[in-house]
Amino acid sequence: MEQPNDLIIEMQNGNEKAFSRLYTMYSEAIYGIIYSIVLDEETAEELLQDVFIKVWNNASSYSVNKGRFFTWLLNIARNTAIDETRSKAFKNSRKNLSTTNFVDILSSSDSLNRKTNTIGIKKFVDALKPACIKIIDLLYFKGFTQAEASKTLEIPLGTLKTRNRTCINELRVMVLG
Amino acid sequence: MNPEELIASGNLELYVCGALPEDEVLEVQKAIQDFPEVRHEVELIEQSLLHLAETVAPPVQAMSWTAILNAIRNDNNTEESKVRSINWPAITGWAAAILFMGGIMWMLKQTNDLNNSIQVTTTENTVLREEKSKAENQLAENNEVLEVLRSKDYQVYTLPGNQAVAPEAFAKVYLNKQENIAYIDTKGLPTPPRGKVYQVWSLKMEPLTPTSMGLISTENEMGEGIFKFVNFPDAEAFGITLEPEGGSEMPTMSQLYTLGVITI
Repeated sequence: MEQPNDLIIEMQNGNEKAFSRLYTMYSEAIYGIIYSIVLDEETAEELLQDVFIKVWNNASSYSVNKGRFFTWLLNIARNTAIDETRSKAFKNSRKNLSTTNFVDILSSSDSLNRKTNTIGIKKFVDALKPACIKIIDLLYFKGFTQAEASKTLEIPLGTLKTRNRTCINELRVMVLG
Repeated sequence: MNPEELIASGNLELYVCGALPEDEVLEVQKAIQDFPEVRHEVELIEQSLLHLAETVAPPVQAMSWTAILNAIRNDNNTEESKVRSINWPAITGWAAAILFMGGIMWMLKQTNDLNNSIQVTTTENTVLREEKSKAENQLAENNEVLEVLRSKDYQVYTLPGNQAVAPEAFAKVYLNKQENIAYIDTKGLPTPPRGKVYQVWSLKMEPLTPTSMGLISTENEMGEGIFKFVNFPDAEAFGITLEPEGGSEMPTMSQLYTLGVITI
């Protein structure tokens, strides 16, 4: 998927319509990232709104030349959600979230109305190697740096990189055919 | 790294995740611009991850977008309204309320002050009225004395001081023989010592018979140092003696201050 640079520039110029299109393209994935961190639909919903309000207000701080727009969104979303988990109110209401990952969410969310099975991801993640789950959870969903992930998983950086690539490749085959 | 190496390195995956260090990000960034195959690879990685995250997401509520839209529109509005954020109606209202309260307080204080000053004035009036009536009495008495002095019915006698006791002393008697009224002016008498009073006597000469006419006291004082005596027997002479408080039956001759004979 090519990055919609024209829409991004229009949004940066204050175009609500462009912002709306970008929201449609990215909001669900960003919501998934936030939900995988806070594990509460209501909180995730509020944070999703916060994230996109931040995106609108700080649109000018993104530059097409500095990285992927999606990566920029990811960083805002993960930071916002992690900030929330560090808040007192959140700590009081929930405990030990860090052990839950995206696969746990998927396996426990059969009742949720989603298109997961049509694209085969659920099947994929069900079969996903535990090592892949951990790597993708830390690097993608939790926003660890490569050094942090390498340290946490106690594997060399090179191994981490190749394993991550292999895992995402498998994902790609499932998703994109 | 050439494009193939870069693609195989796993750096592109980390780049999309946002897990790559800054310097390596720059390298990937440059490669994306220079090599379409690198950009394509990045897009495929991004799309896979995007889908993965979407599968994790519960259904997004449509009202979320409405809430975002409201928030950014309100933000724009508040930015505009910040310029004229001074809420004049509220300020005016508060100012009016404060002024009003202040006005009431001021009026209450004013009323209180006036009440106080009315009380003070009333008291002053009472005092003045008393003083006025005192002065009127004084005037009436003085007028009476003046009448006496001017009247043809009164004769003036001077009672000279007794050489033995008080040579400097004297008293004046204004006597109405017909009505037996006497005014005695004691200006020429020294102030009596503590515990002593002057007593006035009418005297018959043959034989010498003193009769007390009364004490010189504030009770019968008419004016400044002028005392009125009535109802005393016909006198041929008047004498004034210094007596113990309350007076005596008989004059103490050793304390006879003035004595004068009346010549008709």
